[in-house]
Amino acid sequence: MSPLLEINDLAVTFATRHGEVTALDSVSLHVNEGETLGIVGESGCGKSITALSVMGLIPQPHGRIRAGSIKLAGEEFVGATPARLRQMRGAEAAMIFQEPMTSLNPVFTVGDQIAEAITLHQNTSRDRAFKDAIALLDRVGIPEPDKRARDYPHQLSGGMRQRMMIAMAVSCRPKLLIADEPTTALDVTVQAQIFDLLNEIQRDFGAAILLITHDMGAIAEMADRVSVMYAGRVIETATADQVLDTPQHPYARGLIDCIPALGKSETGLKEIPGVVPPLHMLGAGCAFAQRCDHAQARCLREKPKLINHGHHPAACHGVEEARL
Amino acid sequence: MTLSYLLRRIGYGLLLMLGVVILNFFLIRLAPGDPAVVIAGEMGGATEEMLESIREEYGLNKPIFTQLWIYVSGIATGNLGESFFFNQPVSKLIGLRIWPTILLVITAQILSISIGVFMGVIAARKPNGILSGIVSIFATIGYAVPVFWTGIMLIILFASVIPIFPVEGMQSVKLRDAGFVVKTLDIAHHLVLPAFTLAIIYLAQYARLSRASMLEVLGSDYIRTARAKGASEVSVLFKHALRNAALPILTVAGLQFGNLISGALLVETVFNWPGMGRLAFDSILRRDYPTILGVLFFASAMVVVANIITDISYRWADPRLRRKS
Repeated sequence: MSPLLEINDLAVTFATRHGEVTALDSVSLHVNEGETLGIVGESGCGKSITALSVMGLIPQPHGRIRAGSIKLAGEEFVGATPARLRQMRGAEAAMIFQEPMTSLNPVFTVGDQIAEAITLHQNTSRDRAFKDAIALLDRVGIPEPDKRARDYPHQLSGGMRQRMMIAMAVSCRPKLLIADEPTTALDVTVQAQIFDLLNEIQRDFGAAILLITHDMGAIAEMADRVSVMYAGRVIETATADQVLDTPQHPYARGLIDCIPALGKSETGLKEIPGVVPPLHMLGAGCAFAQRCDHAQARCLREKPKLINHGHHPAACHGVEEARL
Repeated sequence: MTLSYLLRRIGYGLLLMLGVVILNFFLIRLAPGDPAVVIAGEMGGATEEMLESIREEYGLNKPIFTQLWIYVSGIATGNLGESFFFNQPVSKLIGLRIWPTILLVITAQILSISIGVFMGVIAARKPNGILSGIVSIFATIGYAVPVFWTGIMLIILFASVIPIFPVEGMQSVKLRDAGFVVKTLDIAHHLVLPAFTLAIIYLAQYARLSRASMLEVLGSDYIRTARAKGASEVSVLFKHALRNAALPILTVAGLQFGNLISGALLVETVFNWPGMGRLAFDSILRRDYPTILGVLFFASAMVVVANIITDISYRWADPRLRRKS
């Protein structure tokens, strides 16, 4: 079975005052139909840019796709016409954003915003679309949907707004749903509800989900497979269980060690020392080498490739040489 | 939009106008010059007796607060007094001239907002593009050039170089008795130059303002959401972004309305437009207190109405400003 979304050697650069900066460097990943792929990493590692690339929404005019390929259901979208991209957005791939507070237009009603997504892609009347919007609001668990549809975003709570975003995203039954940190801005109790809803939606609508998060808990709950990103590269990829149980890359291991757990509290919260190097200061070697306890001369010289060294693919010289 | 809100706004507006009337009444009397002398001058001679009888006739010898009371209570019954110079009721004088002014001011307002905002939106699309640069330069020039100069330049251009627009008056004499459609078109034809002259300054301001406001809005998350839905660029700009960028534009439009009316005074003089502006100009030169006060009264009424309309449009543009019912 060929994957629904296939990204190969994607490179995205941004023009900045430090010159051209590489935000994504030969990123390859795939999402199969109906599965959930989690992309994990710290802020600035390229997770969101990967998602925006798929949607053809890389911030203009500074960003551009330098190389690589993005195939959705077998169709190449790098270099697609703006008209084709517009057609695809919302209909074949839809996105749920991180901030439900600011991601909804404050001057249009909730129902109108969902109905707009429907009328953009389906040949239907506005009234019909509005009725569909109400049904979708009901589906995502918003009480009194016909009343709420006439509300404006500021009249809804954060959790409600995120439900509304989900309703809008699934309104045209896309095959791929991209959720960019869908719960980061929400209360913990609401987070669990949103994950449950996403799981339900996936089951009912059969959509694949690309879940972007820095929350390992979310990965454990949602993802079938995981790609770990660091400084614009995928450094490890495997099933969620494999990554959580036997992480290979020192960074992935660090991330998992950082998950606070009940009963382990006597050691305090763990952290990975140091920070992600600024993208314009990446050298020739492994981007993690500065923060890695196991770094050797080769790590500073040569970028490791994402290769399976026995267990599952990881981009680390140490794993390759079986030092770790 | 609740009725009580509207009534409250109208109530504030009336209070504001009362304040304006009282202030104007005193301001005008603070200006040097005795209207009786000016009126007597018009009549040819000025004996002290004659001046006294003029003061008697127009109530100028009464205590100032009595004069104020007579004036304000007159307004309450729709009587704005009698013009010293034209010897006609002020309400009649203004009634003849207010419509050309309203036509000119509203046309200029619509022109400046629609063209200015359109230019601003286009410029915001590519903030570093050539079009954006042209808009900025045009806006700076439009802002810097005085309105009478623009008017005179347009008159020179259209009177002698390309005579396609009339440069004077509001109607052609020979079309006075024509049918409604021909007359309307004739007035519209005459309106082009004065309206554009008046619009240019404000057009430039709206272009700059909407460019800045749109740039801010276009960077926001909900614009990305609109794009992610598959909305077209036109829909993103003019539907999703512009409604949000409209608030500062509306604010300025409301504030500028007063300036627009005072700008109309100059434009009417330059283009010989038969509106209130020229009446104001003439009555100031002649110390015609009742007429000046009447003109100011109507000008402030127009500003108050414009502000109420601005407030209502705010609530239309931004649902967050509407009270919860």
